Amino acid sequence: MSGVIDLGIEICCSKPVMFEVDIPMTQFIVNMNNSMPSSQKFIIHVLDSTHLFVQPHVEKMIRSAIAQFRNQNSYEKPT
Amino acid sequence: MPQVKIIAKNFMDMVASLTAIKLDKLYNNVFICEAILRSLPPLAKKYVLQLLFTDAPVTAKMMKEWVLPDGESKHGVAIDRLIQLRIFNESVDRKKETCYSLNPTFQKNLQKHIISGGVLPREPMNSNNAIKLPSLQELETYALHQWECFLLQLINSGQGEKLTGISSSMMKVFQRGLLSQRDRDGPRLTESGFQFLLMDTNAQLWYIIREYISNAEERDVDPADLISFLLELSFHVTGEAYNLNTLTDVQRTTLKDLADLGLVKLQQGRKDSWFIPTKLATNLSVSLADSSVRKEGYVMMETNFRMYAYSTSKLQCEILRLFARIEYQLPNLIACAITKESLYNAFDNGITSDQIITFLQQNSHPRCADRVPSIPENVTDQIRLWESDLKRIEMTQAHFYDEFPSKDVFEAACDFARQWGGLLWEDSKRMRLVVKSEVHNQMREYLHTQSK
Repeated sequence: MSGVIDLGIEICCSKPVMFEVDIPMTQFIVNMNNSMPSSQKFIIHVLDSTHLFVQPHVEKMIRSAIAQFRNQNSYEKPT
Repeated sequence: MPQVKIIAKNFMDMVASLTAIKLDKLYNNVFICEAILRSLPPLAKKYVLQLLFTDAPVTAKMMKEWVLPDGESKHGVAIDRLIQLRIFNESVDRKKETCYSLNPTFQKNLQKHIISGGVLPREPMNSNNAIKLPSLQELETYALHQWECFLLQLINSGQGEKLTGISSSMMKVFQRGLLSQRDRDGPRLTESGFQFLLMDTNAQLWYIIREYISNAEERDVDPADLISFLLELSFHVTGEAYNLNTLTDVQRTTLKDLADLGLVKLQQGRKDSWFIPTKLATNLSVSLADSSVRKEGYVMMETNFRMYAYSTSKLQCEILRLFARIEYQLPNLIACAITKESLYNAFDNGITSDQIITFLQQNSHPRCADRVPSIPENVTDQIRLWESDLKRIEMTQAHFYDEFPSKDVFEAACDFARQWGGLLWEDSKRMRLVVKSEVHNQMREYLHTQSK
């Protein structure tokens, strides 16, 4: 067999996920990844400035981190 | 988040799904023929009228010649529709060509209708002015009030207050697609429920009527009879009284339910009882042609994101509460503001920015509606921006392919993925590929066969 390696199957049994984001968000996620201890790093590949290939099961965590980031920038007039 | 679109289910699709025998029975009623004619696309209407007095079948080829080349898709749509409703009968003539002819029942009745005009099976009463009829204005207020009570009860069924006479089992049928049963907190509106509230009245009415008819069989009522009665009702004159003794028992029960919805008003005198169709009923057939009568708008949107709704209706207040923050209420005015938080609430509930903007545009106050654009651009832009802020990240389950032996194999793999609609990302310089999970198995087999 020629050398086409199917990295997806080799690395994890459950299906990894691709993120498509805008450029600031990519940096945000990469930053998050770097601040995590090495056992918990989730980015498998940084494909380009707007696409990331990551481990599964981190989707929820990323979404809540983004929501938190968004809320830090909002102000709601108290009723 | 998957977007569920609640479509104002097309009444005519339901008619088209009836069996051939039932459809033929329906076509015996002259008013149904007219109502169906109204609902057809324009080209189909033309074909029906053109073939109305033709007895021999017309070949499909000849009909195609009537259309210019760029109208072919419309031609196809029209013919399909006519066959679906069994207005056109397809046959094969001696030269083995397909030809079409009109359904004979439909043809006969429509001819009669055109020549002698439609005569309703009942005459309006009150030829001697013995009864005092409500004025058109009073009737309209009554209809609106009934419809609003019904909608309020539909969405607030948790509150024990019973505003209309509709039985709770009937209510459950209507609520089927719109509310979800949650044991702890009581029923809550679903995504479709929210979208339903933002539709315009005619679309809502058709949705409810369609549910009512679909449920008819469980109540031992023939849906075809119900459809024919409803369409007949839409041809009565608004504001005129018709005696109840001209109706069958089934029709009378139906009428009671319709009175709860605001389509007719029931009244009783000393000897007789009668019903008066309201504008909601007579609009039923007009709205078939998709040219609905817009009721007067009441919302004024300002560039500072404040909204003023000239309304006293509880229902409209509830609808505005879906996506705006109600600041205060005056005797004739509801003052609200569109804020990020109120919109996020709406988006969480499954409403899209397009629906909110369409709702605002359709209900804008006449003085605002004359302006172009009726809603200030900064408001519409901001609503869309806020929505897209929620969608900054898109996640797809995928697989990553690397280290292709040659450029050709890489290109072939790319094309294969593209054909299956699974190509998410490619990098031709370093020959890397990301493919959707769904396509992964086929991709693997393809690469195995390639490598042999």
